[in-house]
Amino acid sequence: MARVLVARSDDSSRDGPVQLADHRDVIEQSAFEQILDMDEEGDKDFSKSIVYGFFEQAETTFEKMERAISSKDLRELSHLGHFLKGSSATLGLTKVKDACEKIQNFGARKDESGTADEPDDNQSLANIKLTLKRVKEDYKEVARILKRYYGDTDL
Amino acid sequence: MESSSAAAASAAAGNSSDFVRKLYKMLEDPSYSEIVRWGDEGDSFVVLECEKFTKTILPKHFKHSNFASFVRQLNKYDFHKVRQNNEETGQSPYGPNVSCLLSLSLWIFVCYSHLCQVVLAAWEIRMVSHVDRAQAWEFKHPEFKANSKDSLDNIRRKAPAPRKAAPIIEEAVPTQQLDLMNQQIVAQQQQIQHLSDRYAQLTVDHQLMLQEVMRVQKTVRNHENVIHQVMNFLLSLDARQRRDSRIAASFQGQGQDPSTLSPSQLAPMDDVPASPLQHASKLLNDMNTEIQFNLTGLDSLSDPSKNPAIISTPPLDNGPRNGTVRPATSAGSSSTMGFSKMNGELDPVVYPVGATNGIDPMYGEHVNNIPYSMPPKELDPSDPRRQYTDVRKKSTYVDPGWVRNPHILLVEDDDTCRQVGGKFLHSFSCVIDTAFDGLEAVGKLQNGSKYDLILMDIIMPNLDGVSACHLIRQFDRTPIIAMTSNIRSDDIQLYFQHGDFPLCMDDVLPKPFTRKSLIEMLEKHLVHLKSLPQVIEAPPTSATAVAIAAQNSAPHSVKEDSSPGQSPATSMNNWQSPSQLQGVNVQQVQGQYVQQSPTAATFAVDQNGVQYQATQASLSAAAVAAARPPHRRQASEISSAADIAGFSKRPRVYPQPT
Repeated sequence: MARVLVARSDDSSRDGPVQLADHRDVIEQSAFEQILDMDEEGDKDFSKSIVYGFFEQAETTFEKMERAISSKDLRELSHLGHFLKGSSATLGLTKVKDACEKIQNFGARKDESGTADEPDDNQSLANIKLTLKRVKEDYKEVARILKRYYGDTDL
Repeated sequence: MESSSAAAASAAAGNSSDFVRKLYKMLEDPSYSEIVRWGDEGDSFVVLECEKFTKTILPKHFKHSNFASFVRQLNKYDFHKVRQNNEETGQSPYGPNVSCLLSLSLWIFVCYSHLCQVVLAAWEIRMVSHVDRAQAWEFKHPEFKANSKDSLDNIRRKAPAPRKAAPIIEEAVPTQQLDLMNQQIVAQQQQIQHLSDRYAQLTVDHQLMLQEVMRVQKTVRNHENVIHQVMNFLLSLDARQRRDSRIAASFQGQGQDPSTLSPSQLAPMDDVPASPLQHASKLLNDMNTEIQFNLTGLDSLSDPSKNPAIISTPPLDNGPRNGTVRPATSAGSSSTMGFSKMNGELDPVVYPVGATNGIDPMYGEHVNNIPYSMPPKELDPSDPRRQYTDVRKKSTYVDPGWVRNPHILLVEDDDTCRQVGGKFLHSFSCVIDTAFDGLEAVGKLQNGSKYDLILMDIIMPNLDGVSACHLIRQFDRTPIIAMTSNIRSDDIQLYFQHGDFPLCMDDVLPKPFTRKSLIEMLEKHLVHLKSLPQVIEAPPTSATAVAIAAQNSAPHSVKEDSSPGQSPATSMNNWQSPSQLQGVNVQQVQGQYVQQSPTAATFAVDQNGVQYQATQASLSAAAVAAARPPHRRQASEISSAADIAGFSKRPRVYPQPT
């Protein structure tokens, strides 16, 4: 019991076992910070529920993306990319957000920045496959950081 | 608190509660059987390894890792810990159970324990060989059984009131008394919480009422002003007409073309205005004095001690009044200069119709009555006012000072964004309704739900934001803010060019939104819900910080000080009248304002919210500093006097928009 209490009090210092500042490249602090600010004093229930909700969302979306890739549904892929872009941006998960934006653009038959058209659907699909593979890794990385941040030992 | 009240709500709705269902779900997972599992009879469950349970399972299912609060939650649902039943051996079937910290409803348990005694003894023999030696916790609830999901619905949250303990037959009396007391304390805390919530609510209601009254007053005053303008215009028209007719009659002219004469030139030449007009203006004047009398009564009736924003508004004909009421040393006319200067800048906002010929001497005052001329930049996050509301929460829960809580509809298909957005809005004291997509949003509005603002995602399933907006616009004019994650500005430009936004959307909020962008948007479109302007915008001084730190929720006594030469420390000392013991003076020094305007009106609010116009001066900084202290003391001395009505009338000073 005592140990639990100690862990909780660590939480409130917002440092926890992980320094989020060490991961600026994957988590944009200002965005994530303002969600942490919404936590009640002394716990991180709100931000944690948001973050863990995002985990579920991301994993489901990745699955959907895989399915859409096998059915070559570019439109759906673009939509899924857009969808996950919104929530990852809200949490400040920069890398995931950027990749999702690329998938959105590829799915819209554009290049990754969304400026030039990409006439070859197979090329678009290949681009998405590659991006999806990478974004999954990025996601794993950031999920690991966040889980550690929330003291989740089940990695 | 939030989650527990939510649980209570769902329990009240007749469904099994989240907590119980989560618990059941958790027990269904066979992979946990080493840590937590159903009891052998299926009528209880056992936490075999408390540590692992706390660290791994609790976070997954209950989103926290606090065993104590888990147990507390169990208790709330009338689960109780199964105590050691076989004293003979000193061991529970699942491990060496130490104490029963939180057992409740003992009599139920007692019945059960007697029933189960025999069975348990048998378990003991069976189990003890492979049972983990760590502390095991067994909980049970009569309705909580393996394979009977239906009975979950019968598990309800207990009423918060403490229960009378049944006569305690068994051992461990002290522990139970402790439990009981703890429970009572909790219950009392809840009651206190409830009362203070209620009190807060009433305070808010009270404020809202007052604000409403003030608003009505203002409207009346605005109308008054319009009437005055019209009257003036009519008078000049009348004068011109008569002059024209005179000229026409005499047909000689006076060597001067009447059309070159301005109305003001004509007016004085008019000896006899049309009698209906004369009559009307006389009526108006009579009415004015009467109205002001009433308003004075209202002002003194209202007790705005809780809200610095509730400041008595100046009467219509403040000009002459100022002269008489003002403390003798104040430099009277200077204040009007200041006002008319501001007046020039704010005019367009105040009178879109344009009748701003400046004839009316009371016009300058009028500007100060307009709540919606405040520039949106008022919500600077460093603004000390935003920290009043809830200091303990790292100043994240801000009250932007609404007249009432704005109702916002958040239309968003993305769960994360919806929750975060909802939370942010909540922190701005908004009442939030959410819709998953455009269809649901349109449905809500069609069903008569009224909102002050709609935040609408663009790309959504079923019905996208733009289409939803078009539909809503068929019957509703609620401001709609598009939220789009096409962050680049040229995309937004594109929306505008396509004509979608001007037609239906009122604005665009780029996603991901921040708290800042969100509140700015609210400020911009909910100006009419802003309470009376908080007079002077100011950077927090050190004195302010101290003052804020020193108080949490005590009524704020706000002193607005725009004079340059007064150091915060001095004025604090001078102004700590006994009636202010509880309150806190928050001093705001507006450097920017001071630079731009040579005048400064100073007034202060005492504990009871009664204001005194301490001084109005355009003196030099030094002169102000020298002249002020006696004044202030004088003002505070009068604070208990009954006849304060006259003093409560004063102009308010607004920051000049920059």
